[in-house]
Amino acid sequence: MLFQRLNRALVRFGGGGLAARIVALSLLLLLLVQAAGFGVVRSNIDRNARAQLANELRVGERVWQRLLDTQAQRLRQGAALLSADFGFRAAASSGDTATISSALENHGARIGATVAALLDTNFEPRAVHAGTTQALTSVLRDMATSLARENGGNRVALIDGQPHQFVAVPLRAPQTIGWVVMGFPLGQTLVDDMHALSGLQVALLSKSSGAREHITATTLRSAIASTELLRQGAATDGSMLLDGDELFVHTVPQDAAGGNLRTLLMRSVAEVAAPFRQVQVVLAAITLLGVLLFALGSAWMARRVTTPLRALVGASYRLGSGDYSQALEGTQRSDEIGELARAFDHMRVSIAAQEAEMRHLAFTDPLTNMPNRARFREVVRAAIATAERTRTEGAGAGAGAGAGAGVAVLMLDLDRFKHVNDVLGYAMGDRLLCSVAQRLTTQVVRHGDVVARLGGDEFALLLPEADVATARALAQRIADSFEHALTLDDQTVDLSAGVGIACWPDHADNADDLLVRAEVAMYAAKQRHEPSVVYDLAMDSSSALNLSLLSELRRAVDDGELRLYLQPKIALHSRRLVGAEGLVRWQHPQRGLVQPMDFIPFAEQTGFVRQLTLWIFEEAARQWHHLQAHGPVQISINLSTRDLIDLELPQKLNAILRRHGAPESGFCLEITESAIMDDPARAEATLNTLRTCGFKLSIDDFGTGYSSLAYLRKLPVDELKIDRSFVLGLQSNPDDAKIVRSTIDLAHNLGLSVVAEGIENEAVFAQLAALHCDEGQGYHMSRPLPLADFVGWAARWNASHMQIEQAAVEEAALA
Amino acid sequence: MNFATSLALCATAFGLWAPAQAANVQVHVLDASGKPLSDAVVFLESKDAKAAVKPAREAAIAQVGKEFTPRVTVVPVGTAVDFPNRDKVRHHVYSFSPAKNFELKLYAGTPATPVVFDRAGVAVLGCNIHDNMIAWVVVVDTPYYGRSAADGHVQLSGVPEGSYRLRVWHTDLASGAAPSDQPIDIVATGSAASVRLRESKK
Repeated sequence: MLFQRLNRALVRFGGGGLAARIVALSLLLLLLVQAAGFGVVRSNIDRNARAQLANELRVGERVWQRLLDTQAQRLRQGAALLSADFGFRAAASSGDTATISSALENHGARIGATVAALLDTNFEPRAVHAGTTQALTSVLRDMATSLARENGGNRVALIDGQPHQFVAVPLRAPQTIGWVVMGFPLGQTLVDDMHALSGLQVALLSKSSGAREHITATTLRSAIASTELLRQGAATDGSMLLDGDELFVHTVPQDAAGGNLRTLLMRSVAEVAAPFRQVQVVLAAITLLGVLLFALGSAWMARRVTTPLRALVGASYRLGSGDYSQALEGTQRSDEIGELARAFDHMRVSIAAQEAEMRHLAFTDPLTNMPNRARFREVVRAAIATAERTRTEGAGAGAGAGAGAGVAVLMLDLDRFKHVNDVLGYAMGDRLLCSVAQRLTTQVVRHGDVVARLGGDEFALLLPEADVATARALAQRIADSFEHALTLDDQTVDLSAGVGIACWPDHADNADDLLVRAEVAMYAAKQRHEPSVVYDLAMDSSSALNLSLLSELRRAVDDGELRLYLQPKIALHSRRLVGAEGLVRWQHPQRGLVQPMDFIPFAEQTGFVRQLTLWIFEEAARQWHHLQAHGPVQISINLSTRDLIDLELPQKLNAILRRHGAPESGFCLEITESAIMDDPARAEATLNTLRTCGFKLSIDDFGTGYSSLAYLRKLPVDELKIDRSFVLGLQSNPDDAKIVRSTIDLAHNLGLSVVAEGIENEAVFAQLAALHCDEGQGYHMSRPLPLADFVGWAARWNASHMQIEQAAVEEAALA
Repeated sequence: MNFATSLALCATAFGLWAPAQAANVQVHVLDASGKPLSDAVVFLESKDAKAAVKPAREAAIAQVGKEFTPRVTVVPVGTAVDFPNRDKVRHHVYSFSPAKNFELKLYAGTPATPVVFDRAGVAVLGCNIHDNMIAWVVVVDTPYYGRSAADGHVQLSGVPEGSYRLRVWHTDLASGAAPSDQPIDIVATGSAASVRLRESKK
């Protein structure tokens, strides 16, 4: 219990943990040792005290006897003096009893005797001082007889219960003519003397014949002790408890005429042990002091250990939170703690280096060694934060300074870079990009300006503390520097770029918006074929909407607001269901069902379309097996330009198929003609890969782009999809009919199948069938349907188609 | 302590009885254990003897070397005894005995007046200066007395015939004790008696 409390106190003192435990353990060990020592000392003290007690009591008995003897001697001397006194002898010889009595009284008083008597040679009392009682007379006679025989001894007798010491000396004249007997009370004086001499407590117990024992005299101060002494009797030697005090008792029996007399010699154990106890107290004090010093020492030692440990803990937390700046304490120590601290510090340095390396990699464009998009975004954010702070402080300082400088961002996109890449190859493209980076860097003259490559042929510049004018000037310089053609090896490349400018706080109030606006301005510049354009709100009224749309679209994917719709593809000749085109619909929580035209272009613009594509593909793959319930159904998925650029697309699709156990052959990937023409080389590479994987490939919206037939032939496609605009005009416009007819012929000649979109009535269906178009889709057969509806529709379609087929077969049989 | 004197008598007529004729009396003194006792004072008392007593002409108890010399002196009643001090120190001779209570305060030489012992009895003498000094004066009321020799025998001669009290005293008797007392008839032919003393000492 004590130990727990101590421990808790130590915990508070040492801050818990190791320190407290070290201190507690040390203290515990010390206390154990001290307690053992204390116990040994204590038992020794006890033993010694008892031995000393016994010894003191033995010595006490001798002292007591000696005291009695001395007293007797004094008495005898007094008596002898009396008996030798000539006058007394004369008086005694005179036979005058009164004279003798007064002489006895006188001489007895001189030595403090209370009984004095003259006995004749026959020991008959002749004169007695002290009042003659019969008892005394007989006692005196007995006394004197034995004393005379003994010559020089003393006897004790109880007179009226009081012990008296008697001596007898002969009265000579000069022959012995009688005996002088003197008695001296044994009482308080004697026991006090004894106590003074020996330090022992003394009690004189007398018991007259036939009477109760009582205490004649005692040095015990306490009445209770006396009472208890009588009650306990103390018949034998040993220890006795009197009034709460343990006493060792030694009984000295005394021959006494007329009763019993005992002398009890007592010594308080506590009294004997007192000096030893004092030693114990000193020892305890030393122990206490030792414990205190030990506690302080251990605590100090523990702190010496745990303080650096805590510092290390703190340091490791700092490291954990990414603060590598602070060197560790205690690395100069030569002990294990120091070693640990050095190891920690080494770790700190290397982690810091590694992180710096990682940050560098994460935020640097490896080609140009410029900041990348992520880094640039951060830099812009920081610049805005700084400018904001400056403004706030300026506003606080006084009006006028509030205007402050803004932050300008220039975004730049090279024209025709794709072309350069196609014509000169990627290596050359990369060199071109490096050169552009070089030029941009040289144009930036201000300290603090940042040039970054955002990706592809997109660059950006940050001008902190700049306004539109500064930005315009820089854009002009850039444009000027692009005037000079770039020579790579023997090739001369003309450079041109569209530069978009957006300024904080005029055009946007945060970094992300600022970047988007600069981009918007850049696209505007490219569109207008101007070297630089400053963002204008009118230019992109929808950009704010778009931004929110983008975030909503992201949420739509995450929250499952997108729906996969399927539009059936029918073999025109057999009227069989052979496939379906997967289309995405957005079940917006507020706006309801959002049509693809309202978000797909935007998704393509922002690149989000890639997530959409993957989502659609995943959904289709997931449902593929359900769709095969009423005959094989191949699902067509639209790929965008962005998808084609993604070299990892085949692996991604493959992974999805593996996940859902759907075959590549169950899917047809549709690519628009324009998408292919954006980056034909890369598109071709991607398509080849996909084809090799086993996907069926289809050219969507055929007829709207500018692809050459020669190029088409190179592509590994299986199918052409005639754009709905031709199909819709099939009946009304003879030209469209020709285009459709020749396209079908052409495709068939190239070994491709043909799909017509936008079949809205049976006439078109029949016409296309007559033109040997292979498959068709359109509202005439069905609108795009949710999965459940599609399965139902497929069942119904197949049923009716079977009937028609059946009828046709029967008709043929009849014919 | 109780003691008594008893006499064991063994009297035998010795010689012829002759009235008014002097005779010799042989007395043999023995101690309690029956051994001969020397220096016992033996005397015969009777009315006639008392009448015939005459003080001794001279008697002296000297103090020599802090001792009385002689220690035991037997004198008839009325004898004056001198106490010559032959020591260089002074003596203070006293006696509290009923036979003679006297005191010779510190003196040197011989006091001018001798002490007259005029009552029969035993006087014990001491010196107040020197406790060890002791002497006895046996004052007898008779002219017939003697002291036993080493063999315990004493002869009293010239004792007329008649009835007497034979008394024996010795220093060994208890202090203050009376001499032994026994009747004896003296005949002319001589008488003999044996006395056994019961002493207090030893």
